[in-house]
Amino acid sequence: MTQFFPPPPGSYKIDFGGMDLLRSRDCVCLVKGETFEVAVDPALAKGGWPGGQGVQWVDATSDAFTVAYSSGSFGGFLLWGSNESSDQYTAMTGQQLTYGYAVMVAGRGLISTSSYEQYTLASRTGPGPLVPLVYGANDLLYFSLRGLWSKEQEAPNLLSSGVVAQVPKAVNEFFLGVQFTL
Amino acid sequence: MTSEIFRTRDVVVFTKAKTIPVMIDPALAAGGWPGGQGVQWIDDPNIDTFKVTYSAGRYGGFLLWGSNESSDQFISVTQSQPTYKYAVMCIGPWVVSTTTFETYTYASRTGGGPLVRNVFTPGNKLRFSRRGYFTPEKENGSLPDLFVARVIQAPNTVINNGYLELQSMI
Repeated sequence: MTQFFPPPPGSYKIDFGGMDLLRSRDCVCLVKGETFEVAVDPALAKGGWPGGQGVQWVDATSDAFTVAYSSGSFGGFLLWGSNESSDQYTAMTGQQLTYGYAVMVAGRGLISTSSYEQYTLASRTGPGPLVPLVYGANDLLYFSLRGLWSKEQEAPNLLSSGVVAQVPKAVNEFFLGVQFTL
Repeated sequence: MTSEIFRTRDVVVFTKAKTIPVMIDPALAAGGWPGGQGVQWIDDPNIDTFKVTYSAGRYGGFLLWGSNESSDQFISVTQSQPTYKYAVMCIGPWVVSTTTFETYTYASRTGGGPLVRNVFTPGNKLRFSRRGYFTPEKENGSLPDLFVARVIQAPNTVINNGYLELQSMI
């Protein structure tokens, strides 16, 4: 790998070699969108979710704005997972599940997340071997049928939810960079 | 009564949305860019960074400041962006006035015939051209219809110094 620091002798130029991102969460936020506090439906509350989970609106019997797992539509995505390792042994351990709420993100911004589909829908649901999805910069992204970011349009005729800003690779701990357009 | 707007930059901002500092690839650093240049993401397999290059029809966003604008001469930021290989990218609903648009149609720019002017109509969709300028044409037929803005006011040398006013929606 190219050495960026220290600069060559006699040079006053420091070539900035990139950020050192601490990816200790499912969803690392680099540019924030708009955030909403939403109620989660019983399926979400029971099943839990990772940070970056896509969600869609669902009608509720109470006067609360409620979301469920996305099946291709959005809403937005949930900023924090329901039981992330970084939240253990703190005051907020499990509190989203306990109180039935989550923080949803919409609008425009940039994240790095581990919540994306790694294999094609056909190979995930068929009997054959798993076929990896290969992400490229600028690929359009959609929410999969279970609400994870995917380059496959698993639910037809639904809008894209973002584009690939950074592909998963060893130097980013195989997180997917997403410029979201929700 | 109308306001007098000083258009001393490639991009004049009326409403600001979101900005992302990004790194730029060697082609952008070497070639430079005007303010309003459309850019798209590019992968660098060895570095954990967010990097862009000239748009060929896709987005990212557009760059707020040009790499060497006349308004930036003889001050501390002169050419700081290409020197340090960064830029400021704009996303979301901006309202701007810019000189960075395709004046002529793609066919007439690349063909042998006379240049034919693009027609900008308020409300119409804008895309990035193959070199990342705002244009009403969909120049790259192999891409999905990735529209990035709408026209607010067409370029007019009398009333707006020939700037295109637009609302971005990237």
